[in-house]
Amino acid sequence: MRAPRTIDLFAPADLPARSAPRPAVQPVAPRALPPRAIQPSRAPLWLGVHVPELSGPGQPGTSRALLVLAARAQRFTPRVSLAPPDGVLLEVRSSLHLFGGVEGLCAALLGECAELKRTVTLAFAPTPLAALVGTRAQRPFRVLDAAQLTGSLAPVPVTALRWPQETIERLACLGVRTIGQVLRLPRAGFAQRFGTMRLTDLDRLVGRASDPRERFEAPARFRRRRELSYESASHAQLAAALRPLLAELGDFLTARQCGVLALECLFWHRRHAPTRCELRLGEPQADAQRLAQLLDERLRTLALPEPVRACELRAGLPVARRLHSAGLWQPGERGGRAEASGIELIERLRVRLGEEAIETLQLVPDHRPEAAWCRAAPGASAAAASAPPPQDGPDAQGALRTAPRPLWLLPVPRRLPQHGGLPRYRGTLHLEGEPERIETGWWDGRDVARDYYNARDVHGRRLWLYRERERPHRWFLHGVYG
Amino acid sequence: MNADSPRSGLAPSRPQTDPRLERLLSHPALWRAGAAARAPVWPSGFASLDEGLPGGGWPRSGLIEILPARFGQGELQLMLPALAALTARPEARWCVWVKPPLQPFAPALASSGMTLTRVLIVRATDRGRRPAALWAFEQALGSGACDSVLTWARHAPVRQLRRLQLAAQRGNALGILFRPRESARESSPAMLRVALEPRRGGARVTLLKSRGGTLGALDLTWEAIRREPLEAS
Repeated sequence: MRAPRTIDLFAPADLPARSAPRPAVQPVAPRALPPRAIQPSRAPLWLGVHVPELSGPGQPGTSRALLVLAARAQRFTPRVSLAPPDGVLLEVRSSLHLFGGVEGLCAALLGECAELKRTVTLAFAPTPLAALVGTRAQRPFRVLDAAQLTGSLAPVPVTALRWPQETIERLACLGVRTIGQVLRLPRAGFAQRFGTMRLTDLDRLVGRASDPRERFEAPARFRRRRELSYESASHAQLAAALRPLLAELGDFLTARQCGVLALECLFWHRRHAPTRCELRLGEPQADAQRLAQLLDERLRTLALPEPVRACELRAGLPVARRLHSAGLWQPGERGGRAEASGIELIERLRVRLGEEAIETLQLVPDHRPEAAWCRAAPGASAAAASAPPPQDGPDAQGALRTAPRPLWLLPVPRRLPQHGGLPRYRGTLHLEGEPERIETGWWDGRDVARDYYNARDVHGRRLWLYRERERPHRWFLHGVYG
Repeated sequence: MNADSPRSGLAPSRPQTDPRLERLLSHPALWRAGAAARAPVWPSGFASLDEGLPGGGWPRSGLIEILPARFGQGELQLMLPALAALTARPEARWCVWVKPPLQPFAPALASSGMTLTRVLIVRATDRGRRPAALWAFEQALGSGACDSVLTWARHAPVRQLRRLQLAAQRGNALGILFRPRESARESSPAMLRVALEPRRGGARVTLLKSRGGTLGALDLTWEAIRREPLEAS
């Protein structure tokens, strides 16, 4: 076995000095490690930050608040690591002298946290796991020297290790409640009863095993500003001014194999507040030309209060992009697919006409005509269509088997005047066939009780009417056969 | 013959002719004046209408106009078999409805064979001077992502219609423009202009303009719809 590459940062500190009480748990002989790989002065010192607000069973893995805190913590050291859901680790050995030692560093960090309106607890320890455990120890935990680590950990309750509840309970049955007691258990028996994972945890806690931690890197975002050499309100000139920024954005995204889902343009004026222009995309996009086209459409409809003197481009968070391979067939031909150009069309229409202007239709198994369909965003219905249809009643697309229905439905049924008990619509109406009764929907408060009739008007159109079953038996026009 | 492959444009097709003559006439070196519409077509779903249409169906790419006397006299029923067959293909592109005058009723569309996941409804509200519906219509036609695009327009200048015709050819899409009967007096660059009058259980269809086809009227009944998939397995 070779020494890990992260040795100068993450390798275990020196073993407890001879003065420390020698634990009954025999340490693993550090065979592979050179005896003095790390200079004592270079031994890592971890600062654990615990945010009690973020701990709890209902918390997501890594919350946004934790990312914000980690980004702030990068001010103190480049070696920041996340310990979700509620912890952040900082390696601060070489930062101590820059921030006035432990006291100064603590004060500075607590100041940052106060700005973020977070109450935190801090702990110093030579190993990352000990620093995390120390933050949960309910009392100040500052161990700067590896020699004192085991002794300082001894009174900390076992629960601070966050082992599974079952393990904690079994330890409690053995009368083991503190970390010191755990460390005194025989190694072989401990591994047999609780698994080697737990033994590794203990080794990492006291620094006998290396504990590599993933380094936190704040996600990079694209943001560029450009001052115009002249003030302009023409959208063509603004589009031209944005083009180099978009080209840069394209390069930025291509290099990261990412795309953006949202783009924001800010136009700065001489007196007015900057004008915002937002662009939302259907799928992650990195093509500068395509983005320029979409932005161009959006700019056409943008109202500017004043000429623009500077523009700024802000891209949303880069997200992983799925790359499509080009098809052999033309779209619409046998075997050809038009997915890419379809998405492009939907985006172009959305940019110009608004988000809600584009929709697809979906069936809902309901007998009420107004509840038998719903709107869906394009793409969303594709997922629904792939779901297997219910076994009984509705057919493959989810429609109920009913009498023929009109192709057009009036958004709101139109009240028809009556003459001698019969409805009129721009002339007399001839009722055809037998009525169909639709009486349902009592469960959601929009119940209907109607008799539907087919009718023909003086122009030869087939209409779909209904008569309310309740008094005063009003007539309504609800559909046109088209 | 594969039903999806382009049909040769013998208009109207004559099933009773001598097969030897047919063979001779289909020789590629032979050019016939009447066969200007050697464009690929989609079957309309009505056997009698297919015979009258140039090439034996609705054109695959290009603009056609449907001119009913009033909205709702069967103009959608006329196009529905072809639209349903188009959306039912596995390689179907979008069928876009731009600014429909009423709500298209999904259960009725589904029961007539339309695949709803290929249907896109565009609600265009006019902003400024350019009419949004015709703009969206042109965008959809020219995008290459649509098999068929439908819209309802009262006024459409000839210049605009010419652009729509070009866009339809560029995007290889069938553009269907529903206009009132009065617009038949205006000239139009559309490939087909079809007037429609309601009849009991059907409609009378009059070809007012038919590029490379014959003009005339014929009666259709909605029961005569042939439901056959465009894809021959």
